[in-house]
Amino acid sequence: MLVASDLVRRYGDLTAVDGVSFHIDPGETYGLLGPNGAGKTTTISIIAGLIPAHSGTVTVAGQPMGPREVDAKRSIGLVPQDLAIYPELSARENLAFFGRLQGMRGKPLTRRIDEVLDLIALSDRAKDATKEFSGGMKRRLNIGIGLLHAPTLLILDEPTVGVDPQSRNAILESVEALSGGGMAVLYTTHYMEEAERLCDRIAIIDSGRIQAEGTRGELITLTGGLDYIRLTGEGQIEAAATALRGLDAVVQVVADRRLLTLTVRDAPAAVAGVVTTATAAGMTLGEVEIVRPDLESVFLHLTGKALRD
Amino acid sequence: MRQLWTMTASDLRQRVRDRSVFIFGLVVPLALMFVFNLTIGSTNDVALTPITVSVSVPAGDQLAATLVAALGQVDAFPITVDEVSADEAGARVRAGKAQLAVVVPDGFGEAVRQGRPAVVDVTEGNGSKIETQIALSVMQGVLDHLSASAVVVNAGVRSGVAQARLGALAEQAATVMPTVNLTEGKASSEQLSPSGALVAGQAGLFLLFTVGFGVLGLVAEREQGTMARLRSMPMRPGLIVAAKGLVSYILGVVATTVLLTVGSRFFDVSFGSPAAVAVLVLCAVAAATSLMFIIARVARTAEQANVAQSILALVLGVAGGAFFPLGATGLAGRVLDLNPIAAFTRGLGITSGGGGLADIGAPVAIMLGFAVFGLAVSRLVPDRGRDL
Ligand SMILES: Nc1ncnc2c1ncn2[C@@H]1O[C@H](COP(=O)(O)OP(=O)(O)O)[C@@H](O)[C@H]1O
Ligand SMILES: [Mg+2]
Repeated sequence: MLVASDLVRRYGDLTAVDGVSFHIDPGETYGLLGPNGAGKTTTISIIAGLIPAHSGTVTVAGQPMGPREVDAKRSIGLVPQDLAIYPELSARENLAFFGRLQGMRGKPLTRRIDEVLDLIALSDRAKDATKEFSGGMKRRLNIGIGLLHAPTLLILDEPTVGVDPQSRNAILESVEALSGGGMAVLYTTHYMEEAERLCDRIAIIDSGRIQAEGTRGELITLTGGLDYIRLTGEGQIEAAATALRGLDAVVQVVADRRLLTLTVRDAPAAVAGVVTTATAAGMTLGEVEIVRPDLESVFLHLTGKALRD
Repeated sequence: MRQLWTMTASDLRQRVRDRSVFIFGLVVPLALMFVFNLTIGSTNDVALTPITVSVSVPAGDQLAATLVAALGQVDAFPITVDEVSADEAGARVRAGKAQLAVVVPDGFGEAVRQGRPAVVDVTEGNGSKIETQIALSVMQGVLDHLSASAVVVNAGVRSGVAQARLGALAEQAATVMPTVNLTEGKASSEQLSPSGALVAGQAGLFLLFTVGFGVLGLVAEREQGTMARLRSMPMRPGLIVAAKGLVSYILGVVATTVLLTVGSRFFDVSFGSPAAVAVLVLCAVAAATSLMFIIARVARTAEQANVAQSILALVLGVAGGAFFPLGATGLAGRVLDLNPIAAFTRGLGITSGGGGLADIGAPVAIMLGFAVFGLAVSRLVPDRGRDL
């Protein structure tokens, strides 16, 4: 569906995209997960043919993509990170305008606009100028325009930034529905939960490079697949640490005054034994916390930085 | 093509809806026309009355005769010229029989021919009127012209041209002198009445604002994020730019046509041949639109674009005589003449003086040349908004 090879894009001395390659299969939802400034929007701008790459190629549905290519652009629907709607026009007029630019006309266009308005829950506000819309409504319309012509590849650039939790959930649900309907989706975000929830495969991007790529499970094994158990308490903490080191499931124990951090295999299974052993050694437990690795810890592991700033 | 029209139509609809194009393209210029016309009106109301000038001219002095003859060419009001003796001339003014006395000294022509200073004596009557001032300024114009030829003589002597030939040259220069009249020689409004110049000048000035509503929309699209989406549509990027140009062009033609039509009705001005005026409007709008493309390339924000547009509009508008006629000679005059707004008002001057399509070649060439030049420059300057 989409093949991007060795994309490079520089701004002055800064290489915003530095050799990015990936592909998306038909019907697949692919995530680009990375912090602000990682190069997500620049990558997407090249893929959607908004700006040229300094080197590298993109093909969409087998056709070469670039700023002057027309055919490849028929296959894509872009939802830009910054709102891209006309404030003076109503929701319906915005949809109709971009629909016509996509080559749709007449009855089929009207019918499709109604469908999309329904999908983004704006049917009852269709006639209002969008400058009167709330942030969430604008975001929904922004997405609606991108999928109006039923593209085979929908490109969403951080569609939930600055959106209230309710609208956010609605957006995530509609993306899930779309990919369920067979549309390929390229989704960028700096929210790890969104990438985990939506994406079949995820690329972790930082400093313009893809640091790792795979399914959620594959990425997590990169950290070694180990969990953490944190114990806080009083009493015989040193003795408890020694006793815990003897357990099979425990790989490592770090003691720091009242806190013991255990690196363990399969924390949910090991936690009962850990608690019994620590108590038996004379430690009075205050809190017990299980920490399982997520994409956040993968990112930390790969880049030494937190995902969110 | 359909996409071009879709974009153009949508833009026009938005511009009509937000009304600012009406305000800046029609309401403000019309209001200014009315305000400025009040000030013109008050000077126009002075009805010019006939005057009598007594003159004394040395017999057989052709250059002196030219000087006096110029008075006869003033057609704003009748001037009666009485030829009398030198003493009589002053006496008549004192007696109130003439409003102005002009005594040309013996040897005047000879002095001019040889490049020596020649002084003409003038006596004004008590309570000298505006008509007297007009007659005086007409003669001053002739004198300036004559001393120009005197300079020619001096320069010629130094470079060794035969004295006899120079005399002939001086005389020739003086006699082929163009008709002196008061509205002549202003860079922008050859034959426009003050009201006509006002309507034409304001239409030209505000054209530069009106066309901004199209092309400068490129900057707004960039700012409001819609440019990214437009570029992702299945069409050539050039089409986006072309649509904005078309919007500018349509708005410019409509606004200028309305301003000229309404202006000519209200201020009783005739611009002459509708076909020739139409050609002038089409060319002026093309020139103004091309200018906007340069701004759209250079400006990073809509605010910058608006400031640049206002500065250009004022500079070109003022230089084109939107507020007052501006005259200049030599290099400065030629630079002023290249201003498309000046060319536009000059063209309207030609048509209102009865000129047709065949007579407006020069202003049309200037405006079209400017349009081509503007488009070429806009292709050459780096596009500061290209990276969205
Ligand atoms: N038009 C531009 N001019 C200069 N630098 C840019 C431009 N666009 C992006 N950058 C820089 O490129 C880097 C990547 O930006 P971007 O692709 O927007 O990241 P992301 O979308 O992941 O937040 C950033 O350092 C950003 O400042
Ligand atoms: Mg971004």
